[in-house]
Amino acid sequence: MNQEARLDYLIDYLLDENPDAKEWMDKLDTVEEKITLFRGLCNIREPKSVTKPFMKIQDAFLKEWNHGRNIISLKDLEPARPQLYLWQGDITSIAVDAIVNAANSKFLGCLRANHNCIDNIIHTRAGVQLRLECHDLITAQGRKEPMGKAKMTKAYNLPSNYVIHTVGPFIDERGVSPFKEQLLASSYRSCLALADEHQLGTIAFCCISTGEFNFPNQRAAEIAIQTVKEYINKNQSNLQVIFNVFKEKDLLIYQSLLEN
Amino acid sequence: MKKRGNFLFIEKKDNIYTLSLTPELQDDIGTVGFIEYSNENTLKVDDPILNLEASKTVHEIDSPLAGKIVERNEAAISEPTLLNSAKTEENWIVKLTDVDEEAFNQLEDA
Repeated sequence: MNQEARLDYLIDYLLDENPDAKEWMDKLDTVEEKITLFRGLCNIREPKSVTKPFMKIQDAFLKEWNHGRNIISLKDLEPARPQLYLWQGDITSIAVDAIVNAANSKFLGCLRANHNCIDNIIHTRAGVQLRLECHDLITAQGRKEPMGKAKMTKAYNLPSNYVIHTVGPFIDERGVSPFKEQLLASSYRSCLALADEHQLGTIAFCCISTGEFNFPNQRAAEIAIQTVKEYINKNQSNLQVIFNVFKEKDLLIYQSLLEN
Repeated sequence: MKKRGNFLFIEKKDNIYTLSLTPELQDDIGTVGFIEYSNENTLKVDDPILNLEASKTVHEIDSPLAGKIVERNEAAISEPTLLNSAKTEENWIVKLTDVDEEAFNQLEDA
């Protein structure tokens, strides 16, 4: 089965589950368009189990899709400071022990079809299993996920082994407050502590709260770097920490902060 | 004597320490719609006291002090907006004993 045949199977399956989505099918000429439809259907999908054949074909598709890119591991990077690394690119192409996802309190991954956020692309490329595991975790907890904490899941089809999900603070029109700054630091600390608890070697952070959650980029980066440094010193942690940035703006901010 | 830590006020009277929400915290979390106390009666520093869902955030309130819970604000369970009140008699969350006085003294003055 080639990638396109796999996509045809997966799309058929998902549309069969969700007949209302058939109206999206107007443009399906290229593999790219099929990927978009597949991604959108997974994004809006309820957390319910799938059949074994679906899982097998999805996993085969995602493994090839994910690994058909340049995969980055720690050995490809030079430390900017002891134990600290900076890398610009898609966090789902990093192969380390754990990558950090900027989740929301519902904890099920982004539910908007093809929305351009990190939660969406992590869930899409990991596979539908990730939402199922998140659903189990949040159901067991019995309430929404608070800000500033962290939970770990497997990474399924991603090149990394685990995903650490944290809900950062949301900044509204009243701007940043000391409470929100403390919550952002708490998100970083919770992820690091969880990684150490599971004796992981390397963790790659995204820029928590800076996207959809509106935290100002410069201040967020200052808190990120300061919190990680303090954590490593205080706990004598051996974690190797990658600051993964996506936007040029964040790259420049982190470069400048890590130089000083 | 009144101190603050983890965005809470801690008021000491005799050997009872009453924890309540600061106006800053109230402002940041918004209108409280749901609270759930943790079952643990003996707290270490940063152990969860309660989880809340409010209009602006989902938040776990963690204890700034180690101690033993002797009373919870049960009224706030059925009426969570009490935690938005300006009055300490209404917006308190727990009363602690067995608190290390030195640890209390080291907190920031309120």
